[in-house]
Amino acid sequence: MWRLVVFLVSGLLIGRLSAIGRERLRQVETERADLANLTRLSQAFLSDTTRESLLGVAADRLGNALQAKHVSVLLGDAAGKLDVRASTSRFDVRQDLADIAYRQGNSAAFPSDLGGTDIYLPIPVGVQRAGVLVARGMASSDRMAEGCAVLLGLAIERERFVRLEREAEETKTSDQMKSTLLAALAHDLKTPVAAARAAVENWAEEAGGSPMSRLAVDQIQALTRRIGELMDVVRLDSGLARPRREIVSAAEVVEAALVRFGDALSRHALFLDVPRQEIRLDVDPSQLTEALGHGLENAARYSPAGTEIRVSAAALDGRALLRVADRGPGIPASEQERVMEHFVRLPQAASLPGTGLGLSIAKSLVEMNGGALRLSEAPGGGTLFEIDLPEPA
Amino acid sequence: MSRILVADDEAAIRKVVRDALEKAGHDVETAIDGEEAISLFESAAFDLIVTDLNMPNVDGLELVRRIRRSSVLPVLVLTVRQEEREKVRLLDAGADDYVTKPFGVAELLARARALLRRGHAGSTPLNRFGDIEVNPEARTVVRNGQGVHLTPTEFSLLVTLLGKPGAVWTHRQLIAAVWGSAAGVSSDTLRVHMGSLRRKLETDPDRPKFIRTEPWVGYRFSPEG
Repeated sequence: MWRLVVFLVSGLLIGRLSAIGRERLRQVETERADLANLTRLSQAFLSDTTRESLLGVAADRLGNALQAKHVSVLLGDAAGKLDVRASTSRFDVRQDLADIAYRQGNSAAFPSDLGGTDIYLPIPVGVQRAGVLVARGMASSDRMAEGCAVLLGLAIERERFVRLEREAEETKTSDQMKSTLLAALAHDLKTPVAAARAAVENWAEEAGGSPMSRLAVDQIQALTRRIGELMDVVRLDSGLARPRREIVSAAEVVEAALVRFGDALSRHALFLDVPRQEIRLDVDPSQLTEALGHGLENAARYSPAGTEIRVSAAALDGRALLRVADRGPGIPASEQERVMEHFVRLPQAASLPGTGLGLSIAKSLVEMNGGALRLSEAPGGGTLFEIDLPEPA
Repeated sequence: MSRILVADDEAAIRKVVRDALEKAGHDVETAIDGEEAISLFESAAFDLIVTDLNMPNVDGLELVRRIRRSSVLPVLVLTVRQEEREKVRLLDAGADDYVTKPFGVAELLARARALLRRGHAGSTPLNRFGDIEVNPEARTVVRNGQGVHLTPTEFSLLVTLLGKPGAVWTHRQLIAAVWGSAAGVSSDTLRVHMGSLRRKLETDPDRPKFIRTEPWVGYRFSPEG
């Protein structure tokens, strides 16, 4: 009798224990399969270097890993709008649940009408979210789905870094190429002109300054200036002429511009109005001198000899203003913006030398240094050329 | 007649510089880069070196440094615009002057002439220019027969400039000469003193003839006006 009882009890116990053992074994096997799936998924994600190829196959891979009927990946755009970017098949995503997962980071899981689970999971990227992973009729565990979402977030983040690095590398390479090309072009243009100029000047001296030799010297000097301007425009348009800023005083900029471009003003009455107290500027000194110089040249070229040209510097409400005012015919208000474009010249200036590049160069240079260039009517008539810069803190 | 060494990697520039200097009566040797210039400099005596800044192998700046290790031979450098910082480095490294490409022949010859004159005469300080007369011992300045009052700093600046007629000075060099190199004097301070010196000596201080500004580099004293 006793033996029978012991036999029964131990039989029951053993049956129960082996049921527990089998269940454990099944769990371990599921977990091992999940782990293998995650590993395969991460390897697959790592081999994708572009967002297109990553998203192109992500849904199918996730579908396999999660043993789901449908999988969709929704990503937020720059404006924060969620869009389906990859999908195993067309199905309706519940927008309300996707939004909650995306905006608040809360996941939702519930029994699916397709069997298994429907789940909405945020795709984490750092403390932010890149989008939402949606699986319908999923047989895998919620934990497996979370693992997949984390993996997807990492893959998206990795792809972004790879892309940024590649872009930076491409910009660098193309900048270097442009810069080399420009230097070669400048060199190829300037060297023969410099040699020609010196040769012509040598010859002109021998010719004893005959009218013909003077004409040749004048023309080659004009050509030199034009080439310089053209190179400036090309350099500015290429985006390579980045300012090398430092703190300088407005007085120094005015002084430098007068030295470099002052010869053009020899036929005018020059008035300087630069206050003794320092006005500081945070600019590339060469570029700003150049910009102001174009204002001086413009004033000298388009106003009659003997009239006054007023150069001033002033500080006003945290702004620094550098001005050149002439007593010429002025520029009609309707044309004041347009003459600052490349190659634009007023009809009344057609008979005078010039390419119409000076003001556009000045405008680019000033803007590059964080300022604005304005043309307006000078008080009492004529043109007011005004460079407006923020004073450094 | 002076012996001049011209270093430039551009054949065309070498030719026109050589022609201009030879026509002015000088004896010219040329080098195609800084390396050749150094070996010529070491093997023969010259009165002046005219060198390009951008050359392969040894560039102009390096050439100036090498020459200054053993010699005070005047060096004139050919630079291009937008190399203002380079100019300051050249001058601080010991170059005597520069001309900016594309330069005029007259300008090149004038600079070369001034350097040769200074080289031959040593540096004879000047005490008269334009209508101005300076007596360094008595520390007086007379302009058009009228006494001009200068502050001690202004006077010291003027005497420094007179010591090297035609020379270009960087801010740093002038500050070192007038205040002593240890002094923490800024370019702004220098500019203020220069401004008042100009107002006392120049007919049109806004377009100075004698004490000229070299943009972003410093000043040049041109006694010929």
